[in-house]
Amino acid sequence: MKILIVEDEKELVEDIAKYLSGENYLCEVATTYEQAAEKIWVYDYDCILLDLMLPGGSGLQLLELLKKQNKQDGVIIISAQNSVEDKVKGLQMGADDYLEKPFHHSELAARVHSLIRRKQFNSSNIIQQNEIMIDLLGKNVKVNDVELSLTKKEFELLLLFTGNKNRVISKAAIAEHISGDIADMFDNYDFVYAHVKNLKKKLAEAGCDNYLKTIYGTGYKWEI
Amino acid sequence: MSKLLNKPFKAFTIYALIILACSIPVYYWVVDFIWMNELDEHNQIIKEGIENSFKKSQIEETELNSILKNWNKLQPGSTLTPSNLSATKADSTYTVEHISAYPGDETIDRFRGLSSYISINGKLYHLQVETNVEETAETMLAITVVTLLFFVLLVIGFIVLNKQIAKKIWQPFRNTLEKLKSFDLTARQTVLFDKTDIEEFEELNQSLQKLIDKNISVYTQQKTFIENASHELQTPLAVLKSKMNLLLQNKDITSEQSEILSAVELPVARITRINKNLLLLAKIENSQFAEVENIELTEVVNETNELLNDYITAKQITVVKSLSQKLSVVCNKTLLEILINNLLINAIVHNTREGVIQVEFSGRTLTVSNTGKTALNNEKLFERFAVSSSQTASSGLGLAIIKEICNRYGWQIQYAFQNNLHSFTVTF
Repeated sequence: MKILIVEDEKELVEDIAKYLSGENYLCEVATTYEQAAEKIWVYDYDCILLDLMLPGGSGLQLLELLKKQNKQDGVIIISAQNSVEDKVKGLQMGADDYLEKPFHHSELAARVHSLIRRKQFNSSNIIQQNEIMIDLLGKNVKVNDVELSLTKKEFELLLLFTGNKNRVISKAAIAEHISGDIADMFDNYDFVYAHVKNLKKKLAEAGCDNYLKTIYGTGYKWEI
Repeated sequence: MSKLLNKPFKAFTIYALIILACSIPVYYWVVDFIWMNELDEHNQIIKEGIENSFKKSQIEETELNSILKNWNKLQPGSTLTPSNLSATKADSTYTVEHISAYPGDETIDRFRGLSSYISINGKLYHLQVETNVEETAETMLAITVVTLLFFVLLVIGFIVLNKQIAKKIWQPFRNTLEKLKSFDLTARQTVLFDKTDIEEFEELNQSLQKLIDKNISVYTQQKTFIENASHELQTPLAVLKSKMNLLLQNKDITSEQSEILSAVELPVARITRINKNLLLLAKIENSQFAEVENIELTEVVNETNELLNDYITAKQITVVKSLSQKLSVVCNKTLLEILINNLLINAIVHNTREGVIQVEFSGRTLTVSNTGKTALNNEKLFERFAVSSSQTASSGLGLAIIKEICNRYGWQIQYAFQNNLHSFTVTF
């Protein structure tokens, strides 16, 4: 699966590419407006990560370009602008998602993951990992064909983990995934532990292998 | 404090009083002098008339004596008596006070007299002509009354003129003062003073205009600086976070290193938080978030409460809500959410374990209270970084943002500490 990362900060681009490459994505990079426009013109991508402020032009112009060419690429705006107007404008112009900088890689990966799923499997949107089957549309989870009753937050948590296989996810990233921007305002992520513990328990009770590992002092890892 | 125009007015009045008081004796002297001169002239004319008519009529001495007897009786104002003097004497004038010589008048009057010697038929006669003149006291009294009358007129005139002048001349000054009073630096709107044809006020207005423009420019620069600085910080922060993330994925990382990494995460999160809030403040101050709509406050409070539930239960805080009343507000939705968010986040972050949060509506006020130990400094509370300390998760900007949002819509925010409860009340 091909991803185009449009971002002028080289360090950031490399890190994102590195992180996502491990998820079996093929990442390409564009650091200027011209480069991005050219790549968009020539190739099709499953997902484009789009910064709004670029040397030579704006990310919103690239969105227009995509629309003109009738391209179906999924677009996630990654912006440091943090302005509501830009967000609304971007989404109106055809972007699928909006992520504010700075973000956790795990969050980005989860969003890319779910976006690609949405784009590819319009009708049967199901993630299968060993004995676990997640129905994204129906919002339910089955382990060995037995349905689990998960809370909304536990479901979100599971999506984050399955979208970041074999990665360490920090508690801060989990907190942000669950409660969004508000997580920024707190230093205390104790509640993460409670949610993870419940999820773990429910998975185990359904006879699921223990994929969810605790990394002491840092966070959690979905080992598969 | 007295008004500016009243000061010269007082001085003018006192000066006028002194001058008018001094003028009373001067007027008297002048009037008296003119009186006396005129009467002396008058007496002289009478004397000359008498002398001439006697000379012309050639009356015998015996007849003259009988005429004089009757003359002196009927015309006491001028007496002619034979003189014992051998030679004629120069005319002299005098002033006397006595009862009028005419019968029937008993009051004492002042008289101006002329004493002269004339010769009739070779014989010397003493002629005395006396004319009534106004008494000193009466003249003085009349002048004083008139002067006082004029003084009163003068003072009344001063007061009326003073008021009129004050109204007219000081109008531009009052205009300027009004504009200065309503000036708000944070609105960053320059003041346009009305044109005036008074040089001093025009000069004052121009100086004020310069001062205000300079202030606005400095203020704007400062704001822009903060905004730019936080914008510039965004990317390095993103890189920092990104690198930490990658480091976390390193398989060879030791548990000691991973602990250090987690320890770094908190301060980084705090910088991110401060930066985000600074940007938000700049945006509110730059009058972004312009769209307004009618919003039900209870809904926002309930949604926010829901959103924060994890943090509330983690700290085992009890939330008591009394939202029986409906309260709708017309404002920007994002800003209202930020306001309620910040109030509740504050109440969680600064709460004690197993503490209480109370959310109450009454009239057009919303009060959010939380358990606390000591009162906060009310004066500095809403300033940036005023209550920030490295010990807490606070960005030191939450209350400043609340204040800024309240300022935008003219809402009141008040803090109180009672019964171990910090409470913030917003009056919409």
